Amino acid sequence: MNWIWFHKLGSPKWFFHWADRWSKLIFIFGVSLFLLGIIWGLVFAPEDYQQGNSFRIIYIHVPSAMLAQSCYLALGISGIVSLVWQMKMAPIFIKSVAPIGAVMAIIALLSGAIWGKPTWGTWWVWDARLTSVLVLFILYMGVIAIQNSFDDTRLSDKAAVVISVVGLINLPIIKYSVDWWNTLHQPATFSIIEKPSMPAEMWVPLLFCVVGLYLFTVGVTCWRMQTELLIREKRSNWIKAEVLDSGV
Amino acid sequence: MQTTLTLSASNLCIERSEKLLCDDLSFRVRAGEILHITGENGAGKSSILKVIAGILQPLSGDLDFSGEDISLYRDVLQAELLFLGHSTGVKNVLTVFENLQLYFPKATDTEINNALMAVNLEGYLVTEAHQLSAGQKKRIALAKLWLTDKKVWLLDEPFSALDTRGIKVLEYKLKEHVECGGLILLTTHQKPSSVLDVKELHLSL
Amino acid sequence: MTYLSFFKSELKLVIRRKQDIVNSLVFFLMIVTLFPLGVNPSSSFLEPAAGGIIWCSTTLAILMSVETMFKEDFHDGSLEQLVISGLYLPFLILLKLTVQWLAVLLPLLILSPLFSSMLFLPWSILSVLIFTLLLGSPALFLIGTIGAALTLSLRRGAVLMLLIILPFYLPVIIFATGAITAAQTGQDYMGQLAILAAISLAALALSPGMAAISIKASIN
Repeated sequence: MNWIWFHKLGSPKWFFHWADRWSKLIFIFGVSLFLLGIIWGLVFAPEDYQQGNSFRIIYIHVPSAMLAQSCYLALGISGIVSLVWQMKMAPIFIKSVAPIGAVMAIIALLSGAIWGKPTWGTWWVWDARLTSVLVLFILYMGVIAIQNSFDDTRLSDKAAVVISVVGLINLPIIKYSVDWWNTLHQPATFSIIEKPSMPAEMWVPLLFCVVGLYLFTVGVTCWRMQTELLIREKRSNWIKAEVLDSGV
Repeated sequence: MQTTLTLSASNLCIERSEKLLCDDLSFRVRAGEILHITGENGAGKSSILKVIAGILQPLSGDLDFSGEDISLYRDVLQAELLFLGHSTGVKNVLTVFENLQLYFPKATDTEINNALMAVNLEGYLVTEAHQLSAGQKKRIALAKLWLTDKKVWLLDEPFSALDTRGIKVLEYKLKEHVECGGLILLTTHQKPSSVLDVKELHLSL
Repeated sequence: MTYLSFFKSELKLVIRRKQDIVNSLVFFLMIVTLFPLGVNPSSSFLEPAAGGIIWCSTTLAILMSVETMFKEDFHDGSLEQLVISGLYLPFLILLKLTVQWLAVLLPLLILSPLFSSMLFLPWSILSVLIFTLLLGSPALFLIGTIGAALTLSLRRGAVLMLLIILPFYLPVIIFATGAITAAQTGQDYMGQLAILAAISLAALALSPGMAAISIKASIN
């Protein structure tokens, strides 16, 4: 397999130009896909026979929950890449993605709560999924907090990398332990998505929402990374050329 | 076996708190030489010593110790290194004797006593360090120079806690060390007396 | 410096600072007292909750101990000396950690019969409690060390350290209290103990190295 793309990704200059070309496109495509999916799902998809209209919240809840987890996975892998290959872009990625992941986690929690009220009668329930998203949110806050606590960039990067790697390794352990804890304390709640029995009119918009939100996240992350690069590399010549050329 | 003891740096760039302290710095110190690093406060004197010792990492540049490249890993140097930094490394709760015993577990009582005599701390052997003044604690750290067998000494402001007698004694010790084939890098504000034959490295802000 | 001289020095430090250990134990006692006073002193509440209360108190006591582990060394310059000593830093950290662990855990184990009777935990369950403490506390110390190493240069790093470290403590607390609850209801608890041991071993493999990286970054 050709690993050149991997090493190219590590070059700030290459990434900056790539992001310039592609990130706007990805963002717009993502937003449109998501809007398409969500309008379809909220308005046009048929009612669920069991939950009525309240199930529609899954068009927000599922994508955001999936993204909250994927962002952390990406964050953790990025930490490992930074430790092993010393890639300069990795801590920048961590810094850019962490707040997005945290917001996704909040959206997942809020939409989960909104779903919970009509379904279970309470705003919050300590089930495995919601509890692990809550813990995930706290993990995100830890990464964000540690990056903002140090003045020295090198130290804050190193600290964020260490905490993401430790978090990544712990994540499956935490998930497993929360799942196990949940089986002790809760009766089995019905599965949140009955996957095979979902008709196409229901899961296609869901797919759109999921893919759309992923693309949206990629677009925004690229922007954030570009901004971070502008700040960090402000003394280097290629950045000065960028700013003067494009009037950013 | 005789190996040529040299410490050299080439094109060293040191950055601290986003400020470039040293740019493209190169020097070489050989056995028998003393390198005296001068400059105003904040110019980077301590930072150079810390980079060589391995506490700080330079932005770029190479370090070489007796023919071995130590730019990434300082292990080879650290085996032969004694570093006296700005902080003394003295534990307050331990006695003077225990503090020195931590770094020199094989030293005999006589040796430790002699070292303390040299830095004017005799009689404080079993005093807990928190009872001593800051200057006295610095002298505990200096006592290590009389107990060590390491060849490379990196000393950050070693004269700062000493009176005139103490300065003379320390200068004599430094001279003795390099005459036996050791190598010293030190920073100090004072001009070293002509007793010592030094090379100078001046840093400007 | 040798590993042995360092270990001896750390032991001396802990023995001279007996007040710190006493403080941890009194703190533990206070938390254990808090629950009956704040909630419900009856055995119907305390007995099923005993495992959880003791483990929450243990977690807080360990966090208190770990938080200051490197602070003094950082400020008096001895941490610097450790980094350039030429000795293997992760192992030095492990030695330091072991001394701290012994200092906190031994008194705790000795006092555990007292605490469990205060919370109406049956004597037969005491052995399970002690096993969970022995198997789970290393993980808490090891993971806590990483947090301490990351925040040692911050003036008010204690809260940040708690924020970072507590999520990683959740599995240990879940399985430790799970084991005690299982024992109380007559179920098998060996699985939970095995998982605690596994987490502690994994932490043993990972933490000293991670803490060493963090210390080297923090001592600038």
